[in-house]
This record gives sequence, C-alpha cells and structure tokens, in this order.
Amino acid sequence: MNELHTLHILNKTPDHPRFGECLGMLGPDDAIVLIENGVLGLAAAEGFHSARVYALRDDVAARGLSGSTQATSLVDYSEWVGLTLQAERVISW
Amino acid sequence: MAMLIIIDQPPYGGWTGREALDMAFSLAAFDQPVSLLFIGAGVNWLRTGQNTSGIEQKSVEKNLAAAPVFGIEDILADRISCERYGIAPPELADSVVLTDANAELLAQYSQAAFAG
Amino acid sequence: MNNLDPHSFTLVITGAPYSTQAPQTALSFAKAAIAAGHAIDRVFLYGDGIHLASALVTPPSDEPHWPKNWATFLEEHEVPGVACIASALRRGLVDDKEQKRYELDASNLRAPFTIAGLGEWVEGNIKSSRTLYFHGDR
Repeated sequence: MNELHTLHILNKTPDHPRFGECLGMLGPDDAIVLIENGVLGLAAAEGFHSARVYALRDDVAARGLSGSTQATSLVDYSEWVGLTLQAERVISW
Repeated sequence: MAMLIIIDQPPYGGWTGREALDMAFSLAAFDQPVSLLFIGAGVNWLRTGQNTSGIEQKSVEKNLAAAPVFGIEDILADRISCERYGIAPPELADSVVLTDANAELLAQYSQAAFAG
Repeated sequence: MNNLDPHSFTLVITGAPYSTQAPQTALSFAKAAIAAGHAIDRVFLYGDGIHLASALVTPPSDEPHWPKNWATFLEEHEVPGVACIASALRRGLVDDKEQKRYELDASNLRAPFTIAGLGEWVEGNIKSSRTLYFHGDR
C-alpha cells in the first residue's frame, strides 16, 4: 500500500463548485472516495488526475452505475472506514 | 498542527459560513490552533464596504475583523477565487493572506473541515 | 496509523434527514466502524443536521425512520449524541431545560440526544483518532 496523504470524501455532483475545489486541492499521493451524489462523477467521466479513486458500492449501485466503474475500486462501508484510518488526514467536501 | 476551516459559500444568502466561523472561534477559545481559508464564492466575505442595514443581518466584515483578536492564526484567501470575484489585494484587510488553495496548502494542516 | 488497532471516531452530521443522505451514510459508516472493533466517541449534530434529533419527525410508515434508527444505535452502543445548541435553538429544536429558560410551549428533543455547545465537538476532535463530517449535497 502506497502512502496516503489526504483522503478526500466527495459527495457532490460534478456540477457543484465543491467538486472542482476538491480536484484543485488533490495531491499525487491522495485518494478520493466518491459517495452519495459524488459517484455521478463516474458517469460524467471526470478526470481525477493521478489520484486513486474509490467509490461507495451501495451508492454506485443505487444510481445504476455499476457498469461505469473501470478504473475505480468499489468499496463497502467497512473498507471506507479502513481508508479513513490509513490516511494522514481526511476531508469531507 | 492546526485545523483549517474552509468557507466556500458567500455571506448573507446562507448560514453555513457563519457556522464555519463559529467553529473556528470555538477551537480558538479552547486554545486549539485554527486558520480560515476562503475559496470560491466564499471570498465575498472579504469584500470591504458591506452595509447590511437593509437586510437585518450582522455584517460579517465586523465578525471577521475580530478573528485575529480571538486567536485565529491565519486568514487565507484563494488567489484565483479573489480574481474571479474582482477582489483586488488593496481591498483585502491587512490580516488576510493571499494563497493558492492546493495540495501543498492542505498538507500544512492536520485537519480540514467545512461547516456544511 | 494501523487500521487494525482499535480507534475512535467523532462523527459530525450537518445534513438533515429527508433533505440529504448524510444521516443514513453516517449511520452505515458508524455501524461498519463498530463492526471493525472501533469506537464512536460521539456524534455531533451541527447546522441542519440537528433535525435528526427531533422527536417530531414522522416519515411515512414504509420509509426508514432515521431519527429513530439513530436513537436506537446510540442507545445500543452507548454513544453520546449531541446537537449543537446554537444550531438547535435557531431551528426550533429544544430540550426541557431550554423550553423553561425561553418559556416555550413545548420541547421536542428525542432521547438519548442531548443539547450542548460546540465545545463538545472540540473535545471529540481532540480525543478521537478521526473526526468525519457528513454534509448535505447542496
């Protein structure tokens, strides 16, 4: 497992200003967890630079996006809990 | 290391910014190091000449002027957001520092949070 | 930080039930954290999140009752649930004490939630391994 500096928890759609703010503060050793409406970023094929991208499985499935997750690791709540503890800091956008 | 409280919503049209400021003041009151970052439409907090008498709300300009007195370490404003909203450096109070909101900035803080 | 060692979380909910997904996401997170052997130090309701502690929320019977589900979780795991007093009073959430103080007609705080100041959040933030925020989507 590589170093994980900041874990960004993103629950906004790509049209929300905070989605762009999050991408603007993303570092190369960071990771994103898309939750709630944030998973729509997968449908909009947003570029996430070099950050690792995770998406909450239940939210992806609920929005009918299970087929749009090629480069994304789906995580359950338990794996998300683990990620928050691996990261040096966590920010909820 | 300090906490960074981020405000990305403009004043008056919503309460989230005020609630973010309350969080920052609380941390400072308990001697916890805290700084504020204004980004996006949040930079409109920093404009001078706010006259709120017609909307029956307290001026956030005055609230914010008290921040250094209450022990808030830095008041940071994202440079690009200020340009976008036409807020030029001479207009900013002396206590406000222009910065670039990026990963390097975030790395200087142990935690970062929005109020909502 | 080794994620296999037991840790503690403070959860801050700022999104209201039935307006946002925040309370239900937070509850699923809290249950997963407990299942992994971690502790929830406290849950702090802030801003619109305080509506989760209302005793008067009445969803249709075929929808999940998030205030009730959260109250059950807090009781079962003896986790303090605290609504910010400034957020609560502005939005019409009061306990018996505040009802008397402001001479109001009723109180509407759901047990086991309590009402207290932002100092509860500051303390949780200092004591916990991680503080997580669950916001609305607007």
